[in-house]
Amino acid sequence: MAVEIPKVAYAGKIKEIPLGREGNTITVGGESCYPFHLFEGAMPHPPKIAMEVYDRAPEDWPDTALEPFADVAGDPAAWARKCIDTYGAEMIALQLASTDPNAENIPADEAAAITKKVSDAVDVPLIVFGTSNVDKDTEVLKAVCEACEGKNLIIGPLSEGNYRAIGATAIGYKHTVMASTPIDINLAKQLNILLGNLNVPDDKIIIDPTTGALGYGLEYCYSVMERIRMAALVQEDERLQFPILANLAKEVWKIKEVKLSETEAPLLGDQKKRGILMEAMTAQCVLLAGADILVMRHPEAINLVKESIQDLMIRGEG
Amino acid sequence: MSKIICSAAIRGAHKIVGTAEAKCEAALKKWGPVQELGFPNTTYYLPIIYGILGIPVKTLGDAKGVLDKCKELLPAQVSDNVWLPYLAPALEAGMATFFAEEIVEAIRYLEEPNCYTQGENPLPDNIWLGAADDVIMRKRGVEFVDGTAPGFAAILGAAPTSEIAAKIAIELQEKNLYVFMCADHEGKTMSEQLVEAGVQIGWPTRLVSFGPSYTATVFAMGFATRAAMSFGGVKPGDFAANLHYNKDRIFAFAMPLGTVIDEWYANAAGAINWGFPTIADTPIPEILPTGICTYEHVVSNIPHDQIVARAIEVRGLKVTISKVDIPMSYGPAFEGERIRKDDLYFECGGGRTLGVELTVSKDMSEVEDGKIEMVGPDLDQIKEGAKLPFAMLIEVAGRQMQPDFEPILERQVHHLVNYVQGIMHIGQRNIMWIRVGKAAVEKGLLLKHLGKVMHAKYHQDFGNIIDKVQIKIYTDEERVKEILEMAKKVYRQRDKRVEGMTDETEETYYSCTLCQSFAPSHVCIITPERTGMCGAYNWLDCKVSFEINPTGPNQPIEKGECIDPAMGQWKGITDFVFKASRQKIEQVSAYSLMNFPMTACGCFECVATILPMCNGIMVVSRDFMGMTPCGMKFTTLAGMVGGGNQTPGFLGVSKHYICSRKFLIAEGGLKRVVWLPKMLKEEIAERIKPICEEMGIPNFPEMIADDTIGTTEEEILPFLEEKGHPALTMDPLM
Amino acid sequence: MGLSGIEIFKKLPKTNCGKCGVPTCLAFAMKLATGKAELDACPDLSEDVKEELGEASAPPVRTVVIGTGERAVKLGGETVLFRHEKRFENPPAFTLLLSDKMDEAEISAKLTKFKDTTYERVGIVLQPAMVAVKGECKDTSGFMALVENVCNNTDAGLVLMNEDVDALSRAVKSCSNRKPLIYAATRKNAETLGNLAKELSCPLAVKGNSLEELAEISEKLIKMGLKDLVLDSGARTAGKSMEDQIIIRRSALMKKFKPFGFPTIVFPCEMTDNPMKEAMIACQMIVKYGSIIILSEMKGHSIFPLLLASMNIFTDPQRPMAVEQKIYEIGATDENSPVLITGNFSLTYFIVSGEVDASHVPSYLLIKDTEGLSVLTAWAAGKFGADTIAPFVKKCGIEEKVKHRKLVIPGYLATISGELEEELPDWQILIGPREASHLPAYLKQWNA
Repeated sequence: MAVEIPKVAYAGKIKEIPLGREGNTITVGGESCYPFHLFEGAMPHPPKIAMEVYDRAPEDWPDTALEPFADVAGDPAAWARKCIDTYGAEMIALQLASTDPNAENIPADEAAAITKKVSDAVDVPLIVFGTSNVDKDTEVLKAVCEACEGKNLIIGPLSEGNYRAIGATAIGYKHTVMASTPIDINLAKQLNILLGNLNVPDDKIIIDPTTGALGYGLEYCYSVMERIRMAALVQEDERLQFPILANLAKEVWKIKEVKLSETEAPLLGDQKKRGILMEAMTAQCVLLAGADILVMRHPEAINLVKESIQDLMIRGEG
Repeated sequence: MSKIICSAAIRGAHKIVGTAEAKCEAALKKWGPVQELGFPNTTYYLPIIYGILGIPVKTLGDAKGVLDKCKELLPAQVSDNVWLPYLAPALEAGMATFFAEEIVEAIRYLEEPNCYTQGENPLPDNIWLGAADDVIMRKRGVEFVDGTAPGFAAILGAAPTSEIAAKIAIELQEKNLYVFMCADHEGKTMSEQLVEAGVQIGWPTRLVSFGPSYTATVFAMGFATRAAMSFGGVKPGDFAANLHYNKDRIFAFAMPLGTVIDEWYANAAGAINWGFPTIADTPIPEILPTGICTYEHVVSNIPHDQIVARAIEVRGLKVTISKVDIPMSYGPAFEGERIRKDDLYFECGGGRTLGVELTVSKDMSEVEDGKIEMVGPDLDQIKEGAKLPFAMLIEVAGRQMQPDFEPILERQVHHLVNYVQGIMHIGQRNIMWIRVGKAAVEKGLLLKHLGKVMHAKYHQDFGNIIDKVQIKIYTDEERVKEILEMAKKVYRQRDKRVEGMTDETEETYYSCTLCQSFAPSHVCIITPERTGMCGAYNWLDCKVSFEINPTGPNQPIEKGECIDPAMGQWKGITDFVFKASRQKIEQVSAYSLMNFPMTACGCFECVATILPMCNGIMVVSRDFMGMTPCGMKFTTLAGMVGGGNQTPGFLGVSKHYICSRKFLIAEGGLKRVVWLPKMLKEEIAERIKPICEEMGIPNFPEMIADDTIGTTEEEILPFLEEKGHPALTMDPLM
Repeated sequence: MGLSGIEIFKKLPKTNCGKCGVPTCLAFAMKLATGKAELDACPDLSEDVKEELGEASAPPVRTVVIGTGERAVKLGGETVLFRHEKRFENPPAFTLLLSDKMDEAEISAKLTKFKDTTYERVGIVLQPAMVAVKGECKDTSGFMALVENVCNNTDAGLVLMNEDVDALSRAVKSCSNRKPLIYAATRKNAETLGNLAKELSCPLAVKGNSLEELAEISEKLIKMGLKDLVLDSGARTAGKSMEDQIIIRRSALMKKFKPFGFPTIVFPCEMTDNPMKEAMIACQMIVKYGSIIILSEMKGHSIFPLLLASMNIFTDPQRPMAVEQKIYEIGATDENSPVLITGNFSLTYFIVSGEVDASHVPSYLLIKDTEGLSVLTAWAAGKFGADTIAPFVKKCGIEEKVKHRKLVIPGYLATISGELEEELPDWQILIGPREASHLPAYLKQWNA
């Protein structure tokens, strides 16, 4: 009996954004269908995973997350190299956590120097995160832009409060920006409009619609991503046709359920495997909602997600 | 276009091009055509020529080619018997001027390599900085894009004294503008005057001494031209895009100080191409709007103490104030503060004394930005526990200001004043009430500071519509009475204006998609007679909201052709809603409950629904917790109809809309209403009176059942029958 | 779907008799329209009207029930492709696979684990739903014994799987009172199993080797009068399953294609040997339309995240989840510990409690019932104002737990501080940060 496949009429396409320095770029985006709906459209660039690197030795990580990096924690450049050499990272995401005014509050030029060191040590695209403090991020990311001219970093988060200052600097030094808004499709769209008005080129914008962990608001982020993708592909919402980034690792690894040991919570099973699956499943959900770049931490979680992406990219027979 | 200016500019251009040619010829003789030529450390060659013509001048030979083009561009000299020189030739002459001047300056670099310092700061023996290299350009250019430096003043010549020069420079600095200086007036330059006055110059202080000659103007114009290429993605040679970018984004202007010679006119004419107007201190002819600059092109004879303010106004530059400068903390955290009797130092209004606050719009010339006037005693002159009459009159002016915005601005006074730590503000208009606590007075708070608050916050929050704000505060009884009388008149006019606004008189309605975050397909349509269902946004609010935030949730919609006047359906609205609901809602009626009613978000003030047995409509408000005759409480109804769905028979409405002449006219209007909670009925009784009278049933409110009569249809039907409620004999609802 | 409340109302008796449980026919019509009531609740509907309304209001994916009593599992009933369009109705049933090839020890261990695995979150019990018993041995006595064993050990729903139709029939008959899902009707045995399912009123799984074959068998069974079917397209790779699941759901919703208007069954356990990867595939199936998800094991570290994911995805986007109103003690609190208050929107609770936890400052978190609304929304709706917070603070018992009288309110509610101080004259109201992420810094400098 013939089954007629009800197809969606896609009218739009996600913009293709080259990341990283010239001659050594990775492209994301370009989808002309919903995530992995390969029977009715194309996903020319499968989603990519950026491995997290911190600018300082993490204090609050469970051992299960820290163990793979114990030998390089505190040396961000070495950490980044290990991610690439040992774990085959496609991208690096540097979290400038110590710039947080509520933490060490290191000055912008110090953060820029660290970033420069990391960016010189790697050849893959480098994402640089501030701490979502509007004013401090402005200082830090501006300094980072200047110090890493020509590397086409992906910097963020840019919010409504600081998109002008950071965006302008990013234009001047030719970096890519991450437009960050709190779980709301209209705010996401508006920030993209504003960035366009500022003259940030369309091939230098990535959307970060905010990500929550499994069990901690994931459903909101999931739906916002899904809606952004629908608006972009089906409703021709041109200002939402950008790749989506999910900064998920730091959300997952701070929750109680990855920190409890098996002795403390026997019903929750093996602590290490649990943490890995919590991270990998959070990633799996946002992948299916439309994320193009996943910021992740645990090498084993990353492997699981990579396999998942491979599996979903094969249509197969059975 | 002034003929005098045109002819002078064209004359000047001829002179400058001539000079450039002579210099070029001499240089060619000396070095030959392959000699490299250019400004130091830049990839933009001679930036104006590169940006406008797309020609990369790399050698003397290239320069010669450009000069040949200049001659083609140069219009003929204006002769006495031609009376109609147009703007265009003068503008072209200005362009040719800049090209020629760039070549002159480039040859200067060739002939005297050390004529300018290379760096951000002047040297002890040489204050002239010359062209900004790419490092400076990028670092400083960012500030032009992100708004930390809105633009620059290109100053030619010198002020009458060093003191005046310093004053002008500092005033410009305070507005975050860069000051680009060149040329001399009677042998004096502004840069030298600043050094004399002890003002530090250089890029870091934004006082840039480009060069001693008027030809150094091209360093300023070259900076602007490169900004467009570097930050605006404008391609070299795309002159239209480059000039537009500058007009729209770089708030620059020329300020010639001293006698305007032909060469200056030529430069000023050139700058107009970029949308940069000229503000002169000498009595030269003026050029009022012709459409290239945002507003006027040349204004003149401006006294030195007003020249900066005037320049800012003419260029359409917005004032930014980052901090509210008062001795108390300021912010939303203090909004809910109460000042209790024991802490009270001073109070006014609130029935205790006369009190009034009023915001009105004025002509630009009538408002002096930042002026705060205090008439009568202030807090430091009164005793604890004192009460005084109070009036605050805020006068605003702006090129985008409309009188319609006045009430909305005025409404902000409440929370903006409340944000001050130690002050409690209640009410508005002439029922306002302010209390000031002892602690605040101890810290030095004055009533005058409220003026500072309003000045700063109006600029911060409404910068898009306001250019100038001045505040007058009165505690003098006579003056307060005067203001109160004036205010009452204004209030009456405003109320009349709002009443006079109908859906028919306006062609533009507004959308509100604020709630789409949780109700994805919800689109509220707000018309003059139908406020948002939340009750928080009326048509005027939306209009202002759009002016302030053009990409925000309130967008203007041309209502277009009327499809059905009774339903309230228009082509423009339908198309908009279809798109904004992401293709979920295909048709919407503004005035109907049964046919394509508006979607509901979740934050509506009231829900209207049908009572089939009574052939009528009931409305229940959020604050009524009990059961209603439709068999559902408000919360149940809200759950059923929210979330952005179209639910025939159920509609979110604001209290204001119930009192509108357009209330559900598709179903017969107010006449259909058979039940309201008593509290709601009492709340709106006064407001629906005129409509009841127009319906010819002045006692209609008495016919509406409420929760004291019954909360089921069975209970209220006899009541309606007894009262002869009109709904019972109207066409069937379904 | 598609009938509005008003359209349904027109067909109702308009007696407002209240026998359906709501006071008026209009209210009942609205409940029907939003899928919150069943037609049968109205005693006065004629059969014709029932059929007409039933047809029009039945969800395009049929709701199928497996099992009985408290552990009956409801599947399907879906009406949308994307959760934000309305909501996903019935979360997937995570189902443990037991085979007659496993030894007794393995079976008993797995069954015990299955029974022990249960979590409570926001007042909701999360647990794996069913056991699938698979007969793979030639000798059917082991299969029969295993079915009996499982029946005796758990009340959970059952899936009975055997390619041997006779063995399967016997097993089904032995426990038909438990309404097990019969797996599976194929092209070969559709008629036999169809009749069996009909006879015993048990739901029947349909397995095709392709979507086309699946549609063909499903149609045949529908014609035989079967109503409760569960679909298996035969896909055994992640990519193909994704495609098939989407096509099945879309066909049902967009084309009203009856043969695909049923819940589905998927087998991550047959797609990999790596349990971690199996969990990942299961996670994919939660999001993209798997109804019964068969797993080879139930380990806490994998089933817990899966249950969380399923809870997240199946949360009603229009009805925020709420936590219980009470005092939550975070860490080793004492009489000097800070006291914070916020609303009972579950996300608010999770995020705030998480940050308080991360601060390592033991604190009391007062959660006030705001009907699941977030702080600002609740405030705007009058459910989190000074007038309602004050009585709660007084009554909740916090005054006996702490010596100090300092209450931290969310930064966004600064505006009610004055009012609240008036309502709670003994308390000093402190304005906390606007964002939960700033709580650790805030709490670290907090002094009683």
